[in-house]
Amino acid sequence: MRGYLFKRLAQIVITFFLFLSAIFFLVDAQPGDYGNVFYSNPRLTPEQRQQLKANLGLDQPTWVRYTKWMSSFLQGDLGISFSNYPRPVIDVIAERAPRTIVLFMSATVVSFYFGFMAGKLLAWNRGGLVEYASTIGGVSLYTVFTPWFALIMIWVFAFRLGWFPIGKFIEPTAWIGAPTEVNDVFIRLIFTALIASVLLFTLLVSVGRLNTNQRRPATWIGMAVIAAGALIYWLNTGLGVYALDILWHLTLPIITLALISFAGSMLLTRNSMLETLREDYVLAARAKGISEKAIRDRHAARNAMLPVVTSFVFSLAFAIDGGVITETVFSWPGMGRTLLTAANAEDIPMVLGALVFTGTLALTAHLVADILYAYLDPRIRYA
Amino acid sequence: MTEPLLQVENLTMHYTTRAGELSAVDNVSFSLKKGEALGLVGESGCGKTSVALTVLKLLPENGYIKEGKIIVNGKDIVPYTEQEMRKVRWGEISMVFQAAMNALNPVYRVGDQIIEALEEHQPQMTNKEMKQKVTELFELVGLESALMDRFPHEFSGGMRQRAVIAMALSCGPDMIIADEPTTALDVIVQDSLLKEMREFQDQLGMAMIYISHDVGVIAEVSDRVGVMYAGRLAEMGTAEEIFHDPIHPYTMALMSSFPSTVGEKTDLVLLPGEPPDLLNPPTGCRFHPRCPYATDVCKEEQPEFKEHSPGHLAACWHPRGEQS
Repeated sequence: MRGYLFKRLAQIVITFFLFLSAIFFLVDAQPGDYGNVFYSNPRLTPEQRQQLKANLGLDQPTWVRYTKWMSSFLQGDLGISFSNYPRPVIDVIAERAPRTIVLFMSATVVSFYFGFMAGKLLAWNRGGLVEYASTIGGVSLYTVFTPWFALIMIWVFAFRLGWFPIGKFIEPTAWIGAPTEVNDVFIRLIFTALIASVLLFTLLVSVGRLNTNQRRPATWIGMAVIAAGALIYWLNTGLGVYALDILWHLTLPIITLALISFAGSMLLTRNSMLETLREDYVLAARAKGISEKAIRDRHAARNAMLPVVTSFVFSLAFAIDGGVITETVFSWPGMGRTLLTAANAEDIPMVLGALVFTGTLALTAHLVADILYAYLDPRIRYA
Repeated sequence: MTEPLLQVENLTMHYTTRAGELSAVDNVSFSLKKGEALGLVGESGCGKTSVALTVLKLLPENGYIKEGKIIVNGKDIVPYTEQEMRKVRWGEISMVFQAAMNALNPVYRVGDQIIEALEEHQPQMTNKEMKQKVTELFELVGLESALMDRFPHEFSGGMRQRAVIAMALSCGPDMIIADEPTTALDVIVQDSLLKEMREFQDQLGMAMIYISHDVGVIAEVSDRVGVMYAGRLAEMGTAEEIFHDPIHPYTMALMSSFPSTVGEKTDLVLLPGEPPDLLNPPTGCRFHPRCPYATDVCKEEQPEFKEHSPGHLAACWHPRGEQS
């Protein structure tokens, strides 16, 4: 496993280098540069214009600029964002990336959770109206034009019904006099979620050691303790109200994104499970006299999960790619919208920075998928 | 206490297929006493496995019991619901599957798959007792107890089959159905495994049904043998009677196709043709198109499965090929 990880990491480094080069040359090949804003000033003399170009380093040939960019990248310097002058690109990414990751991670988790559950039930009880309705409904949502559907959701649930805010990340008026910054609350939220999931995972693993009849109560008690811990933390810091504001703004985008994409995992789970249901170990499980629910969940669905997990991790990377559209529609100040704004402003360092973020995420997702796969399927041993 | 453990009466099971009704098991009756070993032998597709699945009511969605009774420990389980069947399965009757390779779920440790059955049927046991039980079972079937924490893919074919047998023994069933338990194994492993199975059976006083297409396997382990052809029992008797004094021409042909290596040289009797299509079985005796002794009566009327000598039954109009 360790040898494999090293090999895999080396591959990732090479791929990442190729990716960096590709985006640099692609962005560089676009007409115009970030000097355009300044050159267009009619009062500049040609000499001044030339001087400006030299100051920005734009008179150098491409490969010189490429080596410069690459070497500063290796030193952790992505340059300064022109549209957010004078903030460094890395600073802007650090601020906005968590918002994007949280939004799309939650949306993908919700979508896959419901997709998996629905697919499992569809495979288990085949035929009938439910199967047709959910398949047709799911596929329609899957193929619908995303911005249109997102706007309809905003129109219905935010504008007409007023259940959710219309876009944005926070309600600025509610934050007047807040004891801390938005990002601070947000980071705390992320950490709460992270710690809670680690605890939950540990709980679910350790519960397996108990006797059968003690498992269920132990799980419930453990979950209640975790929830209580989180609640106490947020009440104590007095930031609970602000955290709720962020969560409230997160809800509609998550629902929308999950509705659009759940059909993919639903159909994948259904097909995968129809295959595992034919396996001999499912028949053997039935012969053992264990309950139908345990056969469905522990044997058929557990094994049907394997391809779904891979698709989950990859679709996470894809969802963030699609963030340009979704974040714009929901006025969500994340990386997608930053990329769009930067591209419109010809803020090339920021554009490159945003693309570096997407690339890093995609490569990490693949690595995580590999590791997760080995954990879920003991037959897989990497050498 | 002479009541049989399992009594199957006039069992008929059909599969509903797109092409029509397929009669996989037709009017099969047999019984099994405590501690007895019954062998079911026949060609592929003759309904051996279907009998096994029917007895546990593990039929696929398109299979249903059309007629007959399956009496386990004095109770007819045919009208049982799924919920009631769960207690019968593994608790009273367990099964060793044809493809042991695939009967273990690849993503769980072998020991845990046995514990899963124990949790269902013996919920009063603590985790420690269950581990202890698995250790004992592994020792009984000749596996090192440390192997219980391994995954199925880390086992060899023989080891997996032993693990599956340990699993079948786990809840102390009255009876085990072994469906082609050794078919996928090489002859050496097959032989030692069969001997061991016979030993457990005697040791634990369990009844067994062995299902195989291999007459040699059946001869080794069975007290009584049922010969199946095209979903029906053609003949049933003690192993001795079936092998040395077969009544049904099909049994006669089947036996002669497994020549003895020690006895005198005999000519092999070749059986022309193929087993019939069960969607459209032949009228009368289902064996008549391939039977060298068939007469008109064989084509028209189904012979009764009757006793020719005490305990030796056969369904044939011309027992031992005699023309009456």
